[in-house]
Amino acid sequence: MKRLVLALAMTTLLLAGCGQRADHATLYDALGGRPGVEATVENLMYRIADDPTLVGFFTNTNIDHFAASLEQQLCDLADGPCHYDGPPMDRAHQHMGITNADFNRLVGHMEQALIAEGVLLGARNRLLGRLAPLHGEIMRRQSPPAH
Amino acid sequence: MMTSPFLFMARMIRDALLVIALCLFAGQALAGSRLLATGGVSQIEGAAGGGLSPWGVLAGSASEGELAATAFISTAPLSDYTLTAGGIALNVHDRLELSLAHQHLALDTLGGRLEQQIAGAKLRLFGDLLYHPWGVWSLGVQHKRLDDGSLPRVIGAHDVQGNDIYLSGSKLVFAALAERNLLLNLTLRSTRANQGGLLGFGGDLEPGRTLVAEGSVGLFLTPRWIIGAEYRQKPDNLSFAREDDWRSLYTAYFFSPQLSLTGAVLDLGAIAGLEHQHGGYLSLQFAL
Ligand code: HEM
Repeated sequence: MKRLVLALAMTTLLLAGCGQRADHATLYDALGGRPGVEATVENLMYRIADDPTLVGFFTNTNIDHFAASLEQQLCDLADGPCHYDGPPMDRAHQHMGITNADFNRLVGHMEQALIAEGVLLGARNRLLGRLAPLHGEIMRRQSPPAH
Repeated sequence: MMTSPFLFMARMIRDALLVIALCLFAGQALAGSRLLATGGVSQIEGAAGGGLSPWGVLAGSASEGELAATAFISTAPLSDYTLTAGGIALNVHDRLELSLAHQHLALDTLGGRLEQQIAGAKLRLFGDLLYHPWGVWSLGVQHKRLDDGSLPRVIGAHDVQGNDIYLSGSKLVFAALAERNLLLNLTLRSTRANQGGLLGFGGDLEPGRTLVAEGSVGLFLTPRWIIGAEYRQKPDNLSFAREDDWRSLYTAYFFSPQLSLTGAVLDLGAIAGLEHQHGGYLSLQFAL
């Protein structure tokens, strides 16, 4: 048991050490900068389009505007050289009837899009950590689901 | 009453089929949208959790408006005992978890066996493992009943059935350590159970309830693979034999949303007078 605790502690320390690299680089860099974020958002758009549960939310949406706005927001959240000037998250999503299930699906697609664009696990976790607090805002003004 | 592991397995499979049939009958699609591993694995009493302790999350990946079901089989060969457990859990809309489990403790050194049935319910009070700043918090009960309480009575247990009540909270901290996600769990349990109930409930030292704390930490090395440690405080009700807290170091791998395998090394301390109950632990979980 003691030896295992030690092994566990060592592994953790080792991993912690590896995590220290590139402190000066921003999360935005780790996402691949502007081309990386654009590719991720485009990838996400295809996944949403292919998801029968989610695509309905976007029937009246100007996808080019949505994609550009999301890119700007991700860039801002990731300490990139952008400032998100779109509407706040509660207003952007109000009365859409988004459920937690919908939210989980979208985050799942986002994760898959990041993987597909070659974003490494550490950067994915950091980005998810910055997106997670938006859940409260996005879900704040949801009218009860239609179904 | 269970007599062989085969009967035990057969009954589990029957129960699992029953749950699936019920869900199909209810016209509800099984399987949910929550992310991989956010339903934990199955703890030995049947609730979603780690190996030893329940977590705040509910079984499987069901979210609002969805159903999920899990089935598990676990075995823990210890120095002088072998614990086998199996059961099923149903998650209704990520609000309520209902579970049934069966535990079988073979007394390899002393001879004989002890068996108990556990019916559990866990209600999610509020929160979300990933998105709520305080994580997810649930209130649970576990009704436990021994099949044959004669041995526990002989060693001083007051009852052959009892109810554990617990409050569990779980929180995933993104990129907490080496950019890896860290899982924190805390459970407070009110219980009269001796060795989880296998040695009955209440005793000459303490006939009533004890409030115990249980906790675990786990680090997701990858989204599929977690390693960590668990601790479960225990009451000490019987003068016949001292009862120790339980400890484990665990690792779990999620092959898919449907299949996970958990392995652990356990240190369960003294059980019924036999010291140093160390051993391994293997648990397989299927989810729908
Ligand atoms: C972390 C999660 C999410 C983030 C960061 C996010 C971000 C955004 C952003 C930046 C916009 C553009 C706002 C604007 O400029 O007008 C937007 C719009 C939108 N979002 Fe989300 N969103 C999230 C989750 C969701 C979910 C779960 C759904 C539904 C399933 C959803 C549905 C929509 C729709 C339909 C629009 C377009 C509204 C319109 O037509 O103007 N979003 N979102």
